[in-house]
Amino acid sequence: MRPVSGLLKPTLLLLFATACTGAETGEGEGTGATGSGASGAGAAAGTGGSSAGSGASTGAGAGAGMSAGGSAGTGAGAGAAGEGAGPPVVPTTDACPTQEVTRTALRRLTRFEYANSVRDLLGVDPSVANALPADEITNGFDNNASVLTVSSLHAEKYVLVSEEIAKAAVQNLAALTSCDAAVTGEEACALEFAKSFGRRAFRRPTTPGDEQLLLAAYAAGRDGGSHAEGIEVMIRAALQSSHFLYRLETTTPADAAARLVPLSPFELATRLSYLIWGSAPDDALLDAAQNGELTSRDQVAARARSMLNDPKARSAIAHFFRQWTGTTRLEITTKLATLFPSFTDELRAAMQAELPAFVEHVIWSADHDLRTLFTAPIAFVSGPLAELYGVTAPAGAAPAMVTLPAEQGRAGILTQAGFLSVQGHPDQTSPVLRGKFVRSMLLCQPPEPPPPDVNVSVPSIDQGGTARERFSAHLTAGASCNGCHLLMDPIGLTFENFDAIGQWRATDNGRPIDVSGEIFGATDPTLEGPFVGVQALAEKLAGSDQVRDCVATQWFRFAAGRMEAQPDACSLGTAQEALAAADGDLIELIVGTTQLDSFWYRSPVTP
Amino acid sequence: MNPLRFTRRNLLRGSLAATAAVPLLDARRVDGAATPPTRLVVFSTPNGTRNNLFWPSGTETDFQLKTITAPLEDYKQKLTFLRGIRLNDSLQNGALGQNLGSEHARGTGGMLTARPLNPGSEFISFGNTTSGWGSGQSIDQYLVDRLDPPTTHKSFQMGVHVRDTEVRARISYRASNQPVPPREDPRDAFSALFSGLMTPGTPGMPGTVDPALERLWAQRKSVFDLNNAETERLLGIVGAEDRIKLQAHLDSMRDVEMRLVGMPGSSGDPSGGSTCTTPTAIDSEFAVDDQYLEAGRAHMDLAAAALACDQTRILTLQWSYSESEHVFQFLDISGNHHAISHDFASSGVNFDAYNRIQTWYAEQLAYFLGKLDSYQEGDGTLLDNTVVFWATEIGESTAHDLELMPYVLAGSAGGRIRAGRFIDYGNSRRDNNQLLISLAHAMGAEDLTSCGDPSGATGPLPNLV
Repeated sequence: MRPVSGLLKPTLLLLFATACTGAETGEGEGTGATGSGASGAGAAAGTGGSSAGSGASTGAGAGAGMSAGGSAGTGAGAGAAGEGAGPPVVPTTDACPTQEVTRTALRRLTRFEYANSVRDLLGVDPSVANALPADEITNGFDNNASVLTVSSLHAEKYVLVSEEIAKAAVQNLAALTSCDAAVTGEEACALEFAKSFGRRAFRRPTTPGDEQLLLAAYAAGRDGGSHAEGIEVMIRAALQSSHFLYRLETTTPADAAARLVPLSPFELATRLSYLIWGSAPDDALLDAAQNGELTSRDQVAARARSMLNDPKARSAIAHFFRQWTGTTRLEITTKLATLFPSFTDELRAAMQAELPAFVEHVIWSADHDLRTLFTAPIAFVSGPLAELYGVTAPAGAAPAMVTLPAEQGRAGILTQAGFLSVQGHPDQTSPVLRGKFVRSMLLCQPPEPPPPDVNVSVPSIDQGGTARERFSAHLTAGASCNGCHLLMDPIGLTFENFDAIGQWRATDNGRPIDVSGEIFGATDPTLEGPFVGVQALAEKLAGSDQVRDCVATQWFRFAAGRMEAQPDACSLGTAQEALAAADGDLIELIVGTTQLDSFWYRSPVTP
Repeated sequence: MNPLRFTRRNLLRGSLAATAAVPLLDARRVDGAATPPTRLVVFSTPNGTRNNLFWPSGTETDFQLKTITAPLEDYKQKLTFLRGIRLNDSLQNGALGQNLGSEHARGTGGMLTARPLNPGSEFISFGNTTSGWGSGQSIDQYLVDRLDPPTTHKSFQMGVHVRDTEVRARISYRASNQPVPPREDPRDAFSALFSGLMTPGTPGMPGTVDPALERLWAQRKSVFDLNNAETERLLGIVGAEDRIKLQAHLDSMRDVEMRLVGMPGSSGDPSGGSTCTTPTAIDSEFAVDDQYLEAGRAHMDLAAAALACDQTRILTLQWSYSESEHVFQFLDISGNHHAISHDFASSGVNFDAYNRIQTWYAEQLAYFLGKLDSYQEGDGTLLDNTVVFWATEIGESTAHDLELMPYVLAGSAGGRIRAGRFIDYGNSRRDNNQLLISLAHAMGAEDLTSCGDPSGATGPLPNLV
């Protein structure tokens, strides 16, 4: 074992001098969805809305991996470079205008984007994409481009899934193409389909090379088969193409020396489409690109607004919120059946369905105000979730809006049963995970995990007492424990009226629950200080600039498919200002993203 | 189980051969003349161990197993305990001033690569040290490139309820930032491994294969050719870093192409007469928590059969993810594994629970070794011709220790490892680079002298052969 003193980093020493070895209690650092972030976690070290930083410089890809003696070949260990860790980015419009943009690794479609794309391209059931491997999660999000690669397993599934899709799609050829082979001729119809479908699949007009490729695939099905089979093989080929699977941005810039490389209208349309729809552009959007209707920022803003009115936007935007709140992890959340027999697959599914319905309501039916996400005393219930909330079950299977009983003191996303279940243990609540979520994802001050050699086992519920009592050692046992736990537990303990699956309760183990809490170490002074209960917490968070800036930061990471880096200071600052200027209007954040330099430009190609 | 005899009549091939295929029948009939191939299995379980209940007592050749490894008693003479291996300096806490990522994350990414994680801000750990993903190729993938096994699957990754997709959930890397995901649904693994064996007919022999299937293979071939050529063209257009990504894409496409177009490797009866058996089809994903055992058994059965039928020679079998928070309700344990693993107490509920979980994992390994040992190959068994590396991401679980890794090998890699020993390197710790080199030697890549981060020692582990 290493000497303990060697583990302590200056930030922690700054606060508390002694080590936390052998503390009686501690707690696991919990789940990755809320877990990772970046620097600036210490109470004294928070740097504001965005404390995360990733250096502009790229990390070193490893060199040769293995070397054999003699003249034997080497197994190459070289790889794509990761983002290096650098000093924290300080988002500010003072950094404008942007001098350069951060390189984004070539973006492979995520499983979610693939599913939406094939749904919109071909009208097939998107669940066919479930056969693809789950995407690697980085910093809570599934779309970090640096690590989204194509393994052999991906390759196999791209082939097999494309075959299923193509087979389903050609069942109704007339719905795919208006070209009637009996009238126009098979060859002409094949070419027409190569152009029209190819344009949507590759998200730009087809080149003669594309058409040649697609027609060659068509021939592999048509020869000895039928026109429909030809179309089927053409669809497979398009869906296995790098032009479909990756969001290539390779248009040659007019100015070869430009550090800010403008996107082509089609590349811009593609960014817009995956941002707002999580899917490929449709013909109308491609037409707009073609007709020069995406050349000014005002045009793009107007287009973004109209795209938000399309139902496709709803699941795509909700996809961000599901990841941001960590509720995507519901499907792998476990509760002890002996203690929580009601935590069935049906309940889990109802919980899973609530957040998207709630977000959809706030953004499309209510005031699209960030504050409403935190404060609305409503829920969207289906199935067994009604009973959990103590409300009358609505008719129908879809989540329906209900007003929650006032005495429960519920407020927005923070008291949704799904969120509370994910941020909890199998047998009891977790004040730490709940507090850690607020700290990491709402304040952008992710606390460090515990030191490597402390006892992080959760206190047994057999100890009796309330969670505040059971977890008290976090704040009393040692200074280096409470160094971080002061940042989390006094927030998380205010959720204690809700048990490990989010049911309201007045007592814990028969004892009255104290839900008083306090926020320490925030950069926003209005957040600091004591409060009582989750509703009060929600009100504080809703009114905080720090939270508002943090939401913009999280959205920026999701939109960009990477962590922010130094060159993003202007763009991220502008995004935060857009949300601030609109007084927390989430639609303005989404639309504002389309106005950023980081959205309009790419970095030059490094040969 | 259906014994699969190597006659044309019984060599079934089914329409699912879309996903796999076996070689020409005649290539399999070697009549005992062939030397069985050597196989590598990485059997990975999470959350370290407790040294005082893991390491045997006694001498190198006369040793007694302790609580956690007691279930392996039947295979004791086929085990090699390796006491004294550490992760190299680049993976240690601050040894090179790097300290990239948590111990669990570093141990996971470094276990088979002997390399630190990439710098990055993606994953945070104690001390505000952050990291990205793994920074280099893992030994299993090195061996894929180096040995280019003539099997249908160059390597095969299986995951039992891994579920997580963060850095702590990926042990195998094609290259830096290129994690290899495991297959987690045993039905999918079955299909990929065996549906080809159950497809009637012999590819390349006209009239023996379903014409519709041959047509599908030909169409796939066309599509591969067309798209691969286009991706190659793109390599010349994109920047250097994206080129690496597209090259990996192209490599992956080429890797799966052969088996998807009805042209499997020259795999065959590996030992000239042993019994390759196709497992019964699997009809469940075994996805719920309490089916951890069933899911594991399904994967282990498939893994053993895949090795016996020479569908692959390089296989990883990963249980959960590192830092696993799996809940063992079926063992009447209420806390999650990782939390329990950090209880310092030397007795009590968590102490007992942790030991039971570790012992349970040893029981699963014993089951797997039993499976491998049940296949006769020449004078020995499949286990004898395999090296199984029981890996975990950290050492002593209460300390996140990376200085004393609880490593044990099973099998003797066709005689390249003298098994049945408890090797204690004492205080002269060996870097994990050396273990990886030894694994490569065991697999026949005997001229490998160094691998992984250069801070680690070179050359194989002493006293292993």
